[in-house]
Amino acid sequence: MVSPIYILILSLAAGFLLSIIDRGGRKISLAVFYGVLAFNTALIIDWTYRFVFLHAPTLVINTAGFSAPVSINLELGMIQAFVLVFTNLTGLLAAVFLFRKFMESKVSSLILYLLLVMSVNGLVMTRDLFNMFVFLEILSISTYALTTITRTKTSLSAGFKYMMAGSVASIFFLMGVVFVYHFTGNLNLDFIHADQFAGTGLVALFMLTMAVFIELKPFPANGWALDVYQSVDSGIVSVIAVINSAAIGFVFYRLIPLMPQSFLTVFGAAGVITFFFSNMMGLKQKNAKRLLGYSSIGHMGLLMASIVFTIGAPSTVRYLIIGGFFVNHLVAKAGLFWLSGIVRQENIRGWAVLKNNRLLLVLFGVFIFALSGFPPFAGFWAKWEFVKVLIESRMFFVLGAVLTGSLFELIFLFRWLTITVKEDETQLEKITTPDSGSVFATSVFALLATVVAAGVMKYFYNFGWVQTLPAAAALIVYLLDFLPSKLKGFVSLGAVAAYGYYIYPLLESNLQLFFGVIFIVGSAINIISTLNRKNQNRGFYGFLLMMIFSFGNLLIASTYLEFFLSWEFMTISSFLLILRGQKAQRASLLYMIFSTAGAYLLMTGFSFAPALTSTSALMLSIEFVKLPLISVIVLAIGFMIKAGSVGVHIWLPEAHAEAEADVSSFISAILLKAGVLGLLMVAISCIAHAPSFPVFYWIGWIGVITALVGAFMASFQEDAKRLLAYSSMSQVGYVVAALAMITHLGWVSALYLAFNHMMFKSALFIAIAGVYYRTHTRKMYEMGGLISRMPWSYMTVLISIIAVSGVPPLSGFGAKWLIYTAFITKGWYLQAGVLFFASAVSFLYLYRLIHAIFLGQLKSEHQEIKEAPAWFIIPQYIFLAGIMVLSMFPNLMIRPLNSIAMHYFNSSISIEGLTVVSDLGYWNGNFVMHITMAIFAVPFVVLLLLRGKTQRVKQFNIVYAAERPESPETTHVAYNMYAHYRKALGGWASPRIENFWNGVAEWSHTLGDFFRRVYTGNGQTYILHIIMYIVAIYVVMGVK
Amino acid sequence: MSIWTKVLYAVVSVSVATVYGLTLGGIVRKLYARVHGRFGPPVWQPFLDIIQTYSRRVAVSHGNMFFLGPVLRLAGGLGTYLFIPVIFGSALFSNFSMAGDLLLVMYFVFFGQLGMALGAGQGGHPYSPLGIARGLAQMSAFEVPFSLAVIAVAIQYNSLNITSIVAAQQGGFMHWTLFTNPLAVIAAMISILGMNMHAPFSIVMAPQEIPIGPPIEMNGSFLSILQTNRGLFAAAKLVLFMNLFFGGATNIIEMIVKTFFIYMFSVFVGAAYPRFRPEQSFRFFLKWPAFIGVLSIIYITYLGGAS
Repeated sequence: MVSPIYILILSLAAGFLLSIIDRGGRKISLAVFYGVLAFNTALIIDWTYRFVFLHAPTLVINTAGFSAPVSINLELGMIQAFVLVFTNLTGLLAAVFLFRKFMESKVSSLILYLLLVMSVNGLVMTRDLFNMFVFLEILSISTYALTTITRTKTSLSAGFKYMMAGSVASIFFLMGVVFVYHFTGNLNLDFIHADQFAGTGLVALFMLTMAVFIELKPFPANGWALDVYQSVDSGIVSVIAVINSAAIGFVFYRLIPLMPQSFLTVFGAAGVITFFFSNMMGLKQKNAKRLLGYSSIGHMGLLMASIVFTIGAPSTVRYLIIGGFFVNHLVAKAGLFWLSGIVRQENIRGWAVLKNNRLLLVLFGVFIFALSGFPPFAGFWAKWEFVKVLIESRMFFVLGAVLTGSLFELIFLFRWLTITVKEDETQLEKITTPDSGSVFATSVFALLATVVAAGVMKYFYNFGWVQTLPAAAALIVYLLDFLPSKLKGFVSLGAVAAYGYYIYPLLESNLQLFFGVIFIVGSAINIISTLNRKNQNRGFYGFLLMMIFSFGNLLIASTYLEFFLSWEFMTISSFLLILRGQKAQRASLLYMIFSTAGAYLLMTGFSFAPALTSTSALMLSIEFVKLPLISVIVLAIGFMIKAGSVGVHIWLPEAHAEAEADVSSFISAILLKAGVLGLLMVAISCIAHAPSFPVFYWIGWIGVITALVGAFMASFQEDAKRLLAYSSMSQVGYVVAALAMITHLGWVSALYLAFNHMMFKSALFIAIAGVYYRTHTRKMYEMGGLISRMPWSYMTVLISIIAVSGVPPLSGFGAKWLIYTAFITKGWYLQAGVLFFASAVSFLYLYRLIHAIFLGQLKSEHQEIKEAPAWFIIPQYIFLAGIMVLSMFPNLMIRPLNSIAMHYFNSSISIEGLTVVSDLGYWNGNFVMHITMAIFAVPFVVLLLLRGKTQRVKQFNIVYAAERPESPETTHVAYNMYAHYRKALGGWASPRIENFWNGVAEWSHTLGDFFRRVYTGNGQTYILHIIMYIVAIYVVMGVK
Repeated sequence: MSIWTKVLYAVVSVSVATVYGLTLGGIVRKLYARVHGRFGPPVWQPFLDIIQTYSRRVAVSHGNMFFLGPVLRLAGGLGTYLFIPVIFGSALFSNFSMAGDLLLVMYFVFFGQLGMALGAGQGGHPYSPLGIARGLAQMSAFEVPFSLAVIAVAIQYNSLNITSIVAAQQGGFMHWTLFTNPLAVIAAMISILGMNMHAPFSIVMAPQEIPIGPPIEMNGSFLSILQTNRGLFAAAKLVLFMNLFFGGATNIIEMIVKTFFIYMFSVFVGAAYPRFRPEQSFRFFLKWPAFIGVLSIIYITYLGGAS
């Protein structure tokens, strides 16, 4: 048990001795240097272990043989140990990162660095205000000096600005100390109390706290900090952004008990403002390090806000929130700054070089996900709990600002990530082999982030292994990535089957089972099409399994958090799958932005919801929960984003089109159903607890308009996958509308259509994947006449489009029959009219799809093309078989759905043999099928008997405008096929919603750019900002 | 009743409808000719045409789907007709209406259209898809007033069962939908102008622009099947309209009289008006007729209709 005071003593001693030791050679001095840093870290880890596991009491060290307040005392408790572990570890690893620098630079850098680390330790442990000032000065001076470790003009100027700003803060701090002494007669925090500062005494407190706060870089008095982040060496910047900020942040935390409520509110608000504006300004930023600077400043603001606004929360939750933000920011930010040192590219576009180094790319991804607050990383849990606390204490403005700010941050971080993964790197200079030290440091931090994540999940929330399975699956497959793709495909198929076997007994109701079939069985069949992938196909199956397992976990989630966790895992994995598409940069980013906005809404909605009383699956127990109106609204919007409802659908066509061909089917057929599932859950809660505002009436309208808009948009596409994407949007619009009725028949029809849609849309997307595989194009007008070359695929598309269109006798008609009957029974007449319209419009795009690709004239380059590979054909025909069975015996599906819906409502249909009877009419699908077969057979046989007369002619054996055409390009009608309809619609056909969102994007970027102009780069202006800021805060706080 | 008796009845029913439909077609040609200042072909010309095309030595085919197109087209016509009860209270003319209600009929209409569109598509002639693109677009437009009218009818009689809808209109002409829910009938009658594709909505087979449109490559026995269907399908649509809006029919004479006048409505309009351009046609249906359809629903829901 070594006293932590040795950290200070040893560091100081080594610091003084280093200049002498260095004469014996840099290796020796470096050994001492790293030895001391390692010793500090080990010592603090030892203490942390004692506090956490041995429950050691808080340690108080009196120096100079007297007890406080006569002498200075140090305190090391759990919280200090926690902060110091991370700061010392960062200090050590940053030093490892800087190894090469330290080899080359003067010995003074080593000394300064040691002093810096020492001062941080002192700052955290000391209880004496003046001592704090001393450490603060040491910290500042050593940092100023270290900023010049790389001597460029900009880093020198940035260092100077930093010094000026720091001096202002120091002056205030010192004045504060003087005044504190004047009012209280003491400088030891243990002996000073808030009530000693009543009246004029507040000035003392103001100066003290303001000085610390300025060091935390509040907006807009933080221009100096951005210049430092941008121009100083990455290793040192990581120290400033992480270690300095952490230490000063801790000082602020320590001063909180002294502050009156008026101070706290203002500081908290200033923190939120900083978070919001930094992230908004980050939107326009292209320079990687300055971007990280904005993010760092923002996160410190968030940390301050979380410290202030969680005061009323239970201490464990409070520690999770503050600690979570703290660790998350620290680990991710250090990691990213180090990466910037390795990559050495100023512009974020240059980061595409990371693609050449898989490990670094993965590390980069981990840090970006962590920083954006995705599970399993600490920021996710902190944000979840923080939102809950904010809602409980009704701080809605703070909530809005925090979530909007987070979304801004996510946008620039993921723009960076997607550019890195997708931008062409061949023009860029390759990364010079990074030294092992820097890669080591970065890797350790990524590992640390993961370990912390695992710790939180295991010890704080007691999650079982199933909840972590999605992430674990991705990790395991990542380790097995050297295997050939086909083998991994079969293993994945087995894993999905095993998972299905595992969760089957956990499904307590038929409703869960129904979605289980869509999610698990549907996915399993879809996996077959991925078996066509060649080579190693790195990364694919990990993300795929992650996504499928998170689908399943949604069904068995028994708390809001479990559900939300699986939801976020699903978002991450589907994002990464979409990102794999060749030109998916914009598409995946758009998907991520909308998904996250949706996730924030869900988080808010769940936080408003009352606690669950049952331990069964959330899907079932939600029935007994009365969701407040606000919760119903935000949850519904959040889920409708995933379901691609009109207004928030613009991610959908992009994501479907740009994802790899065999991934699109998963997104459309299965992922969209997760949104449906969520909406269904909200609706279940609303059966017994109808909200005071008819939310679902309007959702019904949104659903039918989605169906119509989707159908029209699909008709105007040239790209086959975009067409199918809009078709999915339209079809899910029907489902949403039917769900929104909250009637028995409405739900039967919604679920019937959802299942049907899963089958036909899987088949269609896989068929188009096969066509794309052969033709390498998605533009329909570049194809044509493929029926003769790809008859099997043609059959799939034919059967599927009939099923989509609702033409009897196939299963699609069942959906139409159920839906219209449901709408008319419900009394939603005009909505039914809109759906009829949408349904008629759907013929346009369905015909366009099959005609432009398979009918008409075959292109010369496709004369020898082959049928799609068997791996594509097999799953298609499994789905087709399903469609045919369901068409022949619709009651196989209607009966169970009837019973599912009867759990919530009285049945509105009766099933008499093979006939389904509703209040309005009846339908015997089986009989219709038989008649159809008969009336088809009669003319068919007649025509076959005449076959002798039939003469097959070759392509182009047509006469067109008095000539025989020869070129398929001029003869095949496919391009802009519905130009006349577009013309008829006039202004209605313009993409208003997309224009709206483009406008939103442009405005927020422009605003960000506008605010960014306060940072002129002029040191004097920056000082002026600081002074004005202090005055402004002074006025706002009302200190007299 | 055994299924075979039903089948036999259906054969009779279909034959009657086909002959009637084709005769109507002949009358129309005669009528148009007179308007154009010609004597025109005899009324039985459609029958002659079928015999003529059927007896061709060869039937040129462009592939399997092309081969199936006319078959599906006729199947669509047959199905549409067979799912409608033609004469109220008649077993002979009740067809297979027990298979499904009005929604089934409305969607079975698409069966033949889709099948034909697919067959014509494989023909490879550019005019086929041009005609189809026009046809589909126009169909989506006139479906709006029509479906609104159907919804109004369903609300009015609280049923989608065609037989019950007809039953509810019995007992004098004042019980017809025409008088109890006139707005719905107006909307539906405007949309039948589009369905029957006479001018001003004759854009699908517009001879001067895209000579005869989708069936342009159809010939020989393929064409004969299409021509047969033309008669049957016309009869099916007319019977449906008669059932929904004009009190149905209790005997064959009543059926013939009523459907004749329903048909003549679109023929007269067609003879009097010039053809729209495609976009004019679509816009037309989406404006006033759709609005009248909405009004009919409002009328029947909030004002309780006339009854």
